[in-house]
Amino acid sequence: MSMPSPDPLADLPWPKPEAPSEAVSAKICGACTKNLCAKRGMSALGRLSLCLAVSGLVASFGYWVGLRNHRSELGLRLGLYGAVAWGLVQAAVLFIGFAPRRGLLGSRAVRIALAVLVPVLFLAYLSYAAWSYVPFEQFSHGARASHAVLCGLIALGFGAIVGGSVLLAWRGTNPMTPRLSGALAGLVGGIGGAMAVGIGCPSHEAWHLWTAHGLIILALGLLGFGVGRRLLSP
Amino acid sequence: MTSYSVSIWPALEAASLTSERSPSLAESTSEQLMERYVDGEAEAFEFLYRRVSPNLMGYLLRLTRNRERAEDLLQITFSKVHRARDSFLKGAPVLPWILAIARRSFLDERRSAQVRTEDLSPDGSLPEQQNEERPLPAELSDALEVALDRLPENYREAIVLTKITGLSVAEAASVLGATETAVKLRVHRGYTQLRKELEQYSRTP
Repeated sequence: MSMPSPDPLADLPWPKPEAPSEAVSAKICGACTKNLCAKRGMSALGRLSLCLAVSGLVASFGYWVGLRNHRSELGLRLGLYGAVAWGLVQAAVLFIGFAPRRGLLGSRAVRIALAVLVPVLFLAYLSYAAWSYVPFEQFSHGARASHAVLCGLIALGFGAIVGGSVLLAWRGTNPMTPRLSGALAGLVGGIGGAMAVGIGCPSHEAWHLWTAHGLIILALGLLGFGVGRRLLSP
Repeated sequence: MTSYSVSIWPALEAASLTSERSPSLAESTSEQLMERYVDGEAEAFEFLYRRVSPNLMGYLLRLTRNRERAEDLLQITFSKVHRARDSFLKGAPVLPWILAIARRSFLDERRSAQVRTEDLSPDGSLPEQQNEERPLPAELSDALEVALDRLPENYREAIVLTKITGLSVAEAASVLGATETAVKLRVHRGYTQLRKELEQYSRTP
């Protein structure tokens, strides 16, 4: 019995990597080593700390506004607890979404899961934190609506500061998933802005929290997705 | 005298350091070379360049199908790497990082080429696109190059990154901005298509 001859296509003769021409190599090496000096940016931990510090600063401002507006001590305390808890979530998002990781934590699927889960959890938290509820028809008119617009704009401004600091701190670090990381930067900013306003805002009405405090996280997430490619990719 | 001693000592120091460092540079991983390049060591860049440029060139050649464009993109990629070296995060894998920059540069270049106005040929007509099918060469290795060219871009990229550049599926997925499952699927489909194109070579004795 004769053995069948091996199939030549079983393992294809893949081409070997090709070196560029000597002239091009000399040009590149010359340009990249001319007057070369040490140029070390901040470490991942440094960047992460900077972002959290900006978020903390914005939350402190929210606390100061709450004190000035004579918010109840209980309200201020609950707002601060919430800000600290969501600060931990912000740190986790930055740690997983931006610092270089290998294995499962560095995979795109985990970042996508974060981008979906974080806003859902935040909206669920706002629903839990709402103490009162009025029908949408009542909420959408008069003083309630104008208060929601004002709160939303302030939260958007605070969120833009926090999200912008994340994008700037991690600028040029991620050519692989810049849009996804940009969306995560927006989410971190949205949480920061919403929590800062939440400390100073006396309203615990469900529609107010969902629209003025909750929608900005989605808006900033989308904005981050849009600008991430330009800012996070070298 | 003073100026002479000032100018000669750094050179002597560099020479002695170079002779000591060369073996360790050769043994260093790409990540360690990148770290030393970021710290301002020119020789580390040259070692890094020698190590990653063939893979990068192979990838760009198969993306552009044109040597000149690939070499232009190689220069653009390394100029971006040079400018962004301070934003390279310690611990990140170097080759996928540089390949992702190369891919972005290719996509940017293609996008800007699409909006450029088309040049007319000397007789005043618009140039026709060359679509004719080339016959496969007799040698299997040459035929493989032609068959690779005929693959859809997303299959070709996945195959080039995993089979020629030698990245793992996870690394290729990070370069392509896709999930690992998607990359596996593209490699499988691309490989099936390649085998179909090259079927005649398995029948020849």
